[in-house]
Amino acid sequence: MSAQNPSVPDNLALPAPLVVIAAQVIGAALLWGLLTAESTLVILLLLAVMAAAFAAMQIRPQIEENIVAAFRRSRRLALMVGLVLVLIWPFFLIKNTYGMHLVIVALLYSVLALALNFQLGSANIPNFATGATYGIGAYTSALLAINYGFSLWATLPAAAIVATAFGFLLGIPSMRTKDSYLALVTIAFGIVIHQMLNNLSWTGGPNGLVGIPAPSLFGHSFMSPINVFGYRLPAQANFYYLSVVLLGLAILSAKRLHESRIGLAWNAIRADELAAKSQGINVAWYKILAFAVDAFLAAFAGTVYAFYVSYISPDNFTFLVSVTIMTMVIVGGMDNTFGVIVGAFLLTLLPEKLRIFSDYRLLFVSVVVILFLILRPRGLFPQRQRSYGGH
Amino acid sequence: MTKAPLLSLRGLGIRFGGLVAVDEVNLDLPHGHITCIIGPNGAGKSTLFNLITGIYKPTSGQVVLNGETITALAPHKIAAKGIARTFQSSRLFEDLSILDNVIIGMHARTKTGVLTALLLPWISRRELEACATEAGDILNRISPELYARRYEPAGILPQADRRRLEIARALASHPKLILLDEPSSGMDDRDTAGLMADIRRVMADTPGLSFLIIEHDMRLVAELPDDVIVIDYGKKIAEGDFAEVRLLPRVQQAYLGQKAVENA
Ligand SMILES: Nc1ncnc2c1ncn2[C@@H]1O[C@H](COP(=O)(O)OP(=O)(O)O)[C@@H](O)[C@H]1O
Ligand SMILES: [Mg+2]
Repeated sequence: MSAQNPSVPDNLALPAPLVVIAAQVIGAALLWGLLTAESTLVILLLLAVMAAAFAAMQIRPQIEENIVAAFRRSRRLALMVGLVLVLIWPFFLIKNTYGMHLVIVALLYSVLALALNFQLGSANIPNFATGATYGIGAYTSALLAINYGFSLWATLPAAAIVATAFGFLLGIPSMRTKDSYLALVTIAFGIVIHQMLNNLSWTGGPNGLVGIPAPSLFGHSFMSPINVFGYRLPAQANFYYLSVVLLGLAILSAKRLHESRIGLAWNAIRADELAAKSQGINVAWYKILAFAVDAFLAAFAGTVYAFYVSYISPDNFTFLVSVTIMTMVIVGGMDNTFGVIVGAFLLTLLPEKLRIFSDYRLLFVSVVVILFLILRPRGLFPQRQRSYGGH
Repeated sequence: MTKAPLLSLRGLGIRFGGLVAVDEVNLDLPHGHITCIIGPNGAGKSTLFNLITGIYKPTSGQVVLNGETITALAPHKIAAKGIARTFQSSRLFEDLSILDNVIIGMHARTKTGVLTALLLPWISRRELEACATEAGDILNRISPELYARRYEPAGILPQADRRRLEIARALASHPKLILLDEPSSGMDDRDTAGLMADIRRVMADTPGLSFLIIEHDMRLVAELPDDVIVIDYGKKIAEGDFAEVRLLPRVQQAYLGQKAVENA
């Protein structure tokens, strides 16, 4: 453990820009490989490569330190390379509709996992209802669009407000209950929402809502392909870019809250509630706030999902969805934005690509969680200490 | 100059079922004063701190800070009114950096809300960076070694450093009153001497600041405070200069009683 400011690396073997570009290109290539590989063998091989990389970092933490230091040093370059990769990404999957679909779902799950991370990762509040707030967002938008002709852009804030109100409601018990009891309250909330969606007539009951109209932006319908440079990106690309923007917003929110006294207050509550109170932190308010922020972002994800698939039913928002989101946070790394996104991608893609496991989804998730709690209890990418400019 | 006390306890008490842990304690703490609380184990000293800081709700009496009744306010509100504290068994934010621990101590006097943090991030970043600078200064004054290690997690510190860090965190809130619960436990003679020097220096730097310190180390109690309060079975049994108080029969009795129990 170095006594230095974490932003100042001890030594760098390779020039930072090279490390940054290499890391991002290799990461993108691995993801592309996972998405396009057909045979289980190839997929397992790719996983083995990733596992080896993590094993190397586990044995020699300096490798990880150096990579992180390189990214901190060449922040702007990293951002630009990342942006370019994200923009050109659909061109690599033009023929692969299924792969593109998986990426969009993974992006939306990344948003959900980041939403939950405010609670689980930052403040250690076990919330098993992210799937429910996701559903509330999706249903609010779908109902407004179908019944009142709201556009996607109008439903986004509306759904966020409705879901945030539910988030506040769900957060109130957190003032009186903790840990496993609070977990039970959120599980109950999730089940109540699911049951209501299943049984109310105006939500379409178990059949859900069909025919959510396709959104458009400046006259460009999201049903039509995107034509650029003589390439023709399938209509899906519209939703890909929309999901990317949403994830960008989620990352920005996570970063800004983490780098404020609010993120510090959440971390203090996670570490020791009583000590946090004694520092003047209004623990009840910060817990409710975590629920509200979670619901706000989850509603955005729900809205985009509803418009993307144009058909939603209660089964999209079950308890299992909440558990999956929770797993993504645990696997990726509590309170580490990048880690949480990696967790979301891995746990979206692997069960889909490893078809042998597809009948055992819950089993797969459980085994992954148990393995991680034993092997790398703080996730793939654990939280890092904050650094402050110039100190 | 106002002669009103900084903190007044009026008939403050709490019972846990049949046990009266703190019994009708009356107390006036002046501004700019160091007061030590002594008394045998289980006398109710820590419980008194928990009553003052709002962690326990009293079953009788009042807590008055600068003329304002703060009895049974929520702990975070009392902290914001200017009472900081440390705990008998230190409670740090273990997985956060030493520096972050001190910065969190400034929570009550910083302002950024969610919307500012999300929409005007430069304001919250600037606020936090100013906090980081000040936290670094506070750490450096309390312990240059802690300052040098400020990016390490607090959880790895040894006992004496944990106590110092808790004091730094308490100072960070710019309190009017600091409650220290057995600050010298886990410290050797040199550390304790350093602790006393730190407290005196902080007192000199901050006019009006008062300390209320629960202590067992009789050398510290003899040297440091302006006043001593003796508590036994939840009651205040003596108050005044340590040299006089220690000779009182009822004080000797309280300590002898404990010795007898310990030797039994
Ligand atoms: N929350 C509680 N519930 C029941 N009894 C308590 C509680 N807190 C403290 N006590 C009791 O109050 C008495 C005083 O404890 P304490 O204030 O910790 O003593 P000390 O003077 O050693 O700090 C002890 O008998 C203790 O067991
Ligand atoms: Mg005690």
